[in-house]
Amino acid sequence: MTDGYPDYMQESIKKVKETREERMGKTYDRMTPSEGQEVLNNFHPDYKKEGKEELKIGPSKGRKVPTELAKLLRARSLIDPSEIDLTQVDHDVDVLIIGGGGAGTVAALWSVYEGIDPENILISTKLRHGDSNSMMAQGGIQAADKDDDSPIKHYLDAIGGGHFTNVPELVKALTIDGPKVLKWHEELGIMYDREEDGNFVELPGGGTSRYRLHSSGDYTGMELMRVLRDEADNLDIPVLEFTPAVELLKDDKGQVAGALLMNLETNEYYVVRAKSTVMATGGFGRLHVQAFPTTNHYGATGDGLIMGYRAGVPIRDLDSVQYHPTGAAFPDQIVGLLVTEKVRSLGAQPVNMDGELFVNPLEPRDIEAAAIIRECRGRENGVTTPTGMQGVWLDSPLIEMKSGEGTIEDTLPAMVRQYERFGIDITKEPILVYPTLHYQNGGLIINEDGSTPVKGLFAGGEVEGGVHGKNRLMGNSLLDYNVFGRRAGMTAAKHAKKASIGKLTLDHVNDYNQQIEDAGIKTDKKSPLLLPEYRGKKVLERHLDVEVTL
Amino acid sequence: MEEGYLYYPGCTLKTKASDYEESAMAVMEALGKPLVEMDDWYCCGAVQSLTEDDIMHQIAPIRTMCCAQEQGEKEVVTLCDMCYNVLKQANERMKEKPDDLETMNEFLTEDPDYLGEVDVHHIFEILRDMKDEIKKKVKKPITDLKIAPYYGCMLLRPDHVAIDDTEDPHIMEGLLEAIGAEVIHNPKRTECCGSYHTVNRSDIVEKRVEDIVSRAVKDGADAIALSCPLCQFNLDFHQRNTEYDIPVFYLTELIALAMGIEVGMEKHKIDPKSLLKDKKILE
Amino acid sequence: MSEDEENREMIEIFVMGKRYKVPKGLTIMTALEYAGYKYVRGCGCRGGFCGACATIYRTEDEYKFKMDLACQTAVQDGMFLVQLPFVPAVREDFDIEEVDPKENDNVMLDYYSEIARCVSCNTCTKACPQDIEAMDYVQAALRGDVERCADLSFDCIQCGLCSIRCPADIKHYHLAQLARRITGRYIHEHSDELEKRVQEIKNGEYDDKMKEMVEMEMEELKKLYEERDIREEG
Ligand SMILES: Cc1cc2nc3c(=O)[nH]c(=O)nc-3n(C[C@H](O)[C@H](O)[C@H](O)COP(=O)(O)OP(=O)(O)OC[C@H]3O[C@@H](n4cnc5c(N)ncnc54)[C@H](O)[C@@H]3O)c2cc1C
Ligand code: FES
Repeated sequence: MTDGYPDYMQESIKKVKETREERMGKTYDRMTPSEGQEVLNNFHPDYKKEGKEELKIGPSKGRKVPTELAKLLRARSLIDPSEIDLTQVDHDVDVLIIGGGGAGTVAALWSVYEGIDPENILISTKLRHGDSNSMMAQGGIQAADKDDDSPIKHYLDAIGGGHFTNVPELVKALTIDGPKVLKWHEELGIMYDREEDGNFVELPGGGTSRYRLHSSGDYTGMELMRVLRDEADNLDIPVLEFTPAVELLKDDKGQVAGALLMNLETNEYYVVRAKSTVMATGGFGRLHVQAFPTTNHYGATGDGLIMGYRAGVPIRDLDSVQYHPTGAAFPDQIVGLLVTEKVRSLGAQPVNMDGELFVNPLEPRDIEAAAIIRECRGRENGVTTPTGMQGVWLDSPLIEMKSGEGTIEDTLPAMVRQYERFGIDITKEPILVYPTLHYQNGGLIINEDGSTPVKGLFAGGEVEGGVHGKNRLMGNSLLDYNVFGRRAGMTAAKHAKKASIGKLTLDHVNDYNQQIEDAGIKTDKKSPLLLPEYRGKKVLERHLDVEVTL
Repeated sequence: MEEGYLYYPGCTLKTKASDYEESAMAVMEALGKPLVEMDDWYCCGAVQSLTEDDIMHQIAPIRTMCCAQEQGEKEVVTLCDMCYNVLKQANERMKEKPDDLETMNEFLTEDPDYLGEVDVHHIFEILRDMKDEIKKKVKKPITDLKIAPYYGCMLLRPDHVAIDDTEDPHIMEGLLEAIGAEVIHNPKRTECCGSYHTVNRSDIVEKRVEDIVSRAVKDGADAIALSCPLCQFNLDFHQRNTEYDIPVFYLTELIALAMGIEVGMEKHKIDPKSLLKDKKILE
Repeated sequence: MSEDEENREMIEIFVMGKRYKVPKGLTIMTALEYAGYKYVRGCGCRGGFCGACATIYRTEDEYKFKMDLACQTAVQDGMFLVQLPFVPAVREDFDIEEVDPKENDNVMLDYYSEIARCVSCNTCTKACPQDIEAMDYVQAALRGDVERCADLSFDCIQCGLCSIRCPADIKHYHLAQLARRITGRYIHEHSDELEKRVQEIKNGEYDDKMKEMVEMEMEELKKLYEERDIREEG
């Protein structure tokens, strides 16, 4: 099962090989706006009628969100406020950061640069520091630094890619801060791919009008994240690992005043009082919207949305979810994992079972994904795997025909390694792909300085919305977490210098539970979810809910 | 190697002792037998383990021997005395004890096995055998310089890896004469410099250094010549608390100067250039 | 996830010595979950990027340890395994402003002097699930070749298997992190184009145009977008 493609798939691969020579160097016209709209309407999961639910309570009542998220938003809190003693404060800090991924770590660093003593910062995170979506990004980060490019062009690409639903002020911040962020990265010693003269090697991405994608092989996210974490370690910023936030705390003036954390290994709770709180919990891929597999890390369960919403922050654009056009569809062990867009940036084409090109390789993500679904479900030109998955080929060997032998090994080592483990050589054979749940386009509402509408709460990264509207372009979310992580961190630091906190309460949680009751919602769920459930069915059916005490 | 010698640098030659590497490379190049750095090599381990059953600490040198074998070579030349000593001892042990070689090969899992056919040499052995060529290449004999050679331990002990007579070595004297220098005989030339005590017992090293240098100066030396980077460091750096400040050259620097080759001598603590200028060897 | 035992070929694995039957074709990680373990530690990205799921195992016919990532390795019949979710390896703090290799020719040794204890046994390289030449990068650090250390270690996911196996107590992955940061900061040339753009932004050269964009009517913006010129090749 793990020894490469089975024979019957080899037959389709033969056709891909046969058409390769002829396809090489050919492009496929980009869709016109109306063609794009049509394929979205008919095939993109977001455009389906089912699968969404209108929110009945909370600050964004009336908005639609995916059912999987709605269930958590109308669930009861994981904790019972009456069991919590808020008079015993375990950590009293200036800035509490929830989420030790990219956005959280950037926010912590910029709080320090803004004058907060590291001792007065605390990062709470669910897994280890750095275990996050940020660690997994492969393709790269956008920033307009080339001569033929400009922040204005970047602005236009981002807002057009988002179908003009983005918040203009946020896109402005994203694109104008881009070069500054990269400059900071240079100073920290992040190793980007460079030309001999020190300028960056840059590639195009879906929906970009210029070559603007900076990368570090296909370990871009990892290189950024491990350097940021290293720097946070250098500055001795305290981090509580395996200790996620389970609910925000407020004070009697109604501002956010810290959070309640839970040690996942001992189940002990900790009360953190903070003058400023930064929400940086990332996305929700692990909710498996519409039963899609996902590229996201284990802790991407949308906790920040739940906690923030209960505390009164409205949400936006969560009705649209980003499906990455190319998730692994074979072998079974890695289904859903990302096949980075960079594979297409470098010249690989998506082709059907007969080896025919059916879409421009670099359409915006939603259109590209919808076109692949159409090829499989609508036109039945996909390849079926032994476990019943559908997929189309991503013809990776083209890359080497175009740029020479060794290019794949040099530029996509992570991809090569991932497939090699299962007996597939992507320099010689194509990759079978199908869209996978990738990114939470929307999120908590923020202002351009990273503040939310609720006093004392700030947010940056995938948890917030508005930056990308209803569709994010590749390379703009690594930038997002840097730009808005930074802005949220700086604003939080400034706020902390003048804020004063009153008496801590969890009343908003009680209120929210009451709203559930009042709206007549029946639920046996609790949220935030913290970790997804993957245990075997049989085991769960026989699971005894007893506490063993000695 | 027909075109020259396969060269094992060792770590120090790439950092603290880069002056030594530079001058040795230049001299060998000028002699038509360039040093060609190995494709792959490993830190020698820097200390020879004397324990009989300690194979672990022989791995590093033998892995390097595998690299030489892989390149199809039968000889490796070192510059650093410490590397020479460690590589040579480990290698000789493999030649003498086939059982050890077998154990080693099992652990190394290199393909093919190490066959024990490589020989290790110190650069001085090579230079000794090329003395006539050196003489021919001398452009500016350094006749005004009075040099005390210093051997230290690693080139001469233990006996079975010594490059010369353990008690009364002459290799350096011969080479110094070839380049026209006046040799100052130093009875302390085979005494230990204090070696790694430099890390945590500099008092011991300072005493050794004072002993060695004072004797050389008393006998009229302008400078010392040697080859071990650690001895160089100790004799050079630890003169700072003595009344002396004579330069400590790598012998290859002096040979290069005599051959009219420019060398950097960037990393010396006691600046050798003013002495060389006084003696009109440098402009 | 369909987990119908009857239709799937089952194999036996031993999780810390305890026997479980799991379907063939799962990864070690999904097999443990199938068996009923809920991860708190030992699972991060689930995609081979974070190093949280380092696993040590033996199979019946092999006397040697094998090491790999639970999320990227298929279970095999008769596998004995344990995960190693944490490696106690001390990391040295440094100030990025003070580690210029041009000022200090063996900065690596200053921070991680134990690399001098490397006996070249190569156990680290054999332990690496990413097939990184770990011994070679330690050796590079030892001889002050920071850039080579950085390049060789670039794909490191910091799982720590190298360091836990090292007889010389070297903290490979921390060492390599330092080498990469020094390389990115001091050894690689920095970008002139970027510097120029940052200055332009600081001088406010894009402010007016950006203001215009932010305030632009939707229709006009759409038109601009559709008409923008796209650099397609090379
Ligand atoms: C496989 C993959 C590839 C990608 N490739 C690219 C790319 O090439 N270019 C690009 O721009 N973007 C890419 N992205 C998107 C990008 O990586 C993310 O959107 C971005 O890194 C999000 O950063 P973040 O800090 O907001 O969230 P994360 O990095 O996910 O960090 C959130 C952190 O919060 C923690 N957390 C969650 N809940 C809690 C809680 N209750 N309490 C405490 N902590 C909590 C999480 O465990 C995590 O550590 C990719 C994403 C994935 C998954
Ligand atoms: S869980 Fe991240 S590498 Fe396996």
